[in-house]
Amino acid sequence: MTGSLRSPWFWLSLAALALLGLFVLYPLANILSASVIGPGESGWRRLLASPKYLEAIRNTLVLATSVTCIATLIGVPLAYVTARYSFPGKGLIALLPLITLVIPEVIAAQTWLMMLGNNGLITRFLRDFGIRLPSFYGWFGLITSMSFIYYTYVYIGVVAAIGKFDAQLEEAAQSLGTAPVMSRLRVMLPVILPAILASALLVFTMAVGNFAISMILSHRLPLLSVVTYQAAVAEGARDITMQSTLASVSVLIVMAVLFLNRRIVKRGRYEIVQGRGARPRPLRGLRGLAVAASAGLVVVISLLPLISIMLGAFTASRGPVMQWGTWTLDNMLRVFVTAPQPMVNSLLYAGTATVISTGFSAVVSYLVVKKPNLLTPFVDYIAAIPLALSGTVLGVGLLATFHGGWLPLSGTASIIVLAYVVRRMPFGMRNGQATLQNIPNSLEEASISLGVPPVQSFFRVVLPVMLPAIASAAILTWTTTVAELSASILVYSGGRETLPIQVFRLIDSGLMAYASAYGLVLVAVILLPIIVASKVFRIDVFSSR
Amino acid sequence: MSIDIENLTVTYGQEKVISGLTLNIPEGCFFTLLGPSGCGKTTLLRTIAGFIPAAGGAIRFSGQDVTKLPPHRRAIGMVFQDYALFPDKTVNQNVAYGLRARGETGAAAARKVAQALERVALGHLGDRHPAALSGGQRQRVALARAMVIKPAVLLMDEPLSNLDAKLRIQIRETIAELQREANITTVFVTHDQEEALAMSDLIGVLNRGAVEQLGSPQAIYARPRTGYVADFVGSANRFVARLTPAQGGLIEADLGPVRLFATDAREGAVCAEGLLVIRPENLHLSRAPRVGMQNLPARVRSRQYLGSRTSYRLDIGGDLNLVADAHGPGHDGFMPGDQVNVAVDPAQAQVIAA
Repeated sequence: MTGSLRSPWFWLSLAALALLGLFVLYPLANILSASVIGPGESGWRRLLASPKYLEAIRNTLVLATSVTCIATLIGVPLAYVTARYSFPGKGLIALLPLITLVIPEVIAAQTWLMMLGNNGLITRFLRDFGIRLPSFYGWFGLITSMSFIYYTYVYIGVVAAIGKFDAQLEEAAQSLGTAPVMSRLRVMLPVILPAILASALLVFTMAVGNFAISMILSHRLPLLSVVTYQAAVAEGARDITMQSTLASVSVLIVMAVLFLNRRIVKRGRYEIVQGRGARPRPLRGLRGLAVAASAGLVVVISLLPLISIMLGAFTASRGPVMQWGTWTLDNMLRVFVTAPQPMVNSLLYAGTATVISTGFSAVVSYLVVKKPNLLTPFVDYIAAIPLALSGTVLGVGLLATFHGGWLPLSGTASIIVLAYVVRRMPFGMRNGQATLQNIPNSLEEASISLGVPPVQSFFRVVLPVMLPAIASAAILTWTTTVAELSASILVYSGGRETLPIQVFRLIDSGLMAYASAYGLVLVAVILLPIIVASKVFRIDVFSSR
Repeated sequence: MSIDIENLTVTYGQEKVISGLTLNIPEGCFFTLLGPSGCGKTTLLRTIAGFIPAAGGAIRFSGQDVTKLPPHRRAIGMVFQDYALFPDKTVNQNVAYGLRARGETGAAAARKVAQALERVALGHLGDRHPAALSGGQRQRVALARAMVIKPAVLLMDEPLSNLDAKLRIQIRETIAELQREANITTVFVTHDQEEALAMSDLIGVLNRGAVEQLGSPQAIYARPRTGYVADFVGSANRFVARLTPAQGGLIEADLGPVRLFATDAREGAVCAEGLLVIRPENLHLSRAPRVGMQNLPARVRSRQYLGSRTSYRLDIGGDLNLVADAHGPGHDGFMPGDQVNVAVDPAQAQVIAA
């Protein structure tokens, strides 16, 4: 314990706590209090009196529930099949985590529209044969596109759980006289069930908080994040009561889910004493082919956005009408020459945010893991809060807190950077803590025993060892920050559009070709550091996931 | 440099881990803190290093009070159980690290580094990274790194426990040699009694944060003062016995089924009950009674053949049994069920306070 007031670590913890209090707790408190005591009539009374808002809450819950079910139904079998069997094309499925990471939701939504929208490629193709698909706007589009994005989170979580599952338990069950299928159900399911439920709940919260897809595809269907955004845009920072109330509703929903999650984790945690993963068994013949085909289909659908924005970016258009088959460089010219500002803004804001967020989370994780004092548990706890806030909620909070007042940030670039940092910093923290737990204390003590003072020891000995992990955390932060839309779209001001905001606005105006071009650059900007890191510096970016 | 610890108290939260410990380690001494895990030996070492603050008392290096001095200013060299080599630095950079902190760079420092590595027979591996070294090589680098700065005291925290048995003996010799050459006061922490006996000038057996016995290896082994020490250092047959004084400074110990004469090592404490301690190698097995010894009839219950010796478990009547180690030619000559004679020299059986 370094509780002494003379210790530099104590003051550093105090500074971190102050920053977190100002930029995380204060905005959150502002939202919750404004919903009750904000200007005008009480937000909660207005909420209960409005059929539109109540319907939005109901729709959001229905949507999140259906997406969670479908995503789980796709993700769990896929995870089981890839963890336990080998079949042709299995390597492709390893791409899945990369895909979710690389393709911003706004682009995924756009490409679904380009394929299945009123003027979409597939829609028109089928129409030629007289087949009319239901309109992709509304329930059909929302559920389809969200399920095909979020199943990857179930897949990733469950693959990890099956990997850790001790295959000897299954063999033990068989040796005790249960048939393989039964032993799997009886022995494996209870052990991996917590992982399935935890990832399903994660999908649920993400579907509740989802902004990009909801906004683009919901059309006239009211959804919580959409009405919150609309209230915030309509009212600005003048009347924060209604937007705060709606944001509070999302906070309450997510809190309820997290509470449920804690109970599940607490009740369902079995300790696997000694793990030995099973070797994947090869699947051949017709069964192998069938499994490969269905797994391949899922991956191809996930890859669809990449393919279609590549096509769209180089396809000529007249207004909203895509002239498929006619190629042009005009769209790209616009991104790089005529209107390059969004690209420049994105690089600048996301770059700054990545540096700040990575640095802050490295220092704070070090404090929490290696220099615990009275304050660090609070630092740890508060730093994790943004994980539970959707981007829209965060945007509303920042807008309500830093408009005017003693710290007038709104209208500046710094509030965008701030939104980025607050939203993504918890991921860096998690990463940093995991790394530091693997660095023995003796390393630092060895340095001190050789005569180097504590703070210098950190920089000379601990930091270099942390560096590869910090680099991969920085890359992850970069990829998720540059794609951030839901918080930044609330706090940005004219001239400060970023690439995702620009794509969103162009889709909103129906200009798909331009949107594809900006989207392609966005994907490239996300992909480039990952490729450079893994090829040149041999950093395993995904090791911590 | 001598280390003087006076009335030292160390606390973890509310719990006193060490309370009122006083200990003097003379200059140039190889001192070993011996005890099982949880006895406070590592805590004491880390308090001497300065990583754990003293709640009370004082630590002096040759008279100079270092109790409040932070570890980086105590002029210590420390060797860690997990080596704690800096993984991003080469062997040379690891060894040069402490010199650099003292402002020593350039050719003179490089020469010192080379010399230090030569001493541990690693002169040829200076450019490697720790990951490319074996466990024994890593430990030798750690030793060179701690020694090159010419520390006032050398502190070692179970440095050999991660090595395999053969390597342990090798590095044990290297450490002892280097220590004597540099004549540096050393505190060595271990739970391995053989290591302690082989290397030390002075051993402190620690029990619950207090020094249970302080003495030379010979004294600790041959004349354990408590049952705890007798049991922890080497193995021992221990029996609670009723005592009656006998002639010639001997004492008669009544174990119930048998009575034995033994040396009185109670150090003044006079009581009716005591602990009879006999090392297994001091019990001599034969077919017939031996002249000039006290003899006990016994029956072999089981045996373990251990190569250089055989360890027998013997019934001597009642519920009592003894472990006897036989050495020399024919040491494995007795079989379970055999009736044998156990001979005990009263000088090698001791009675200590219970």
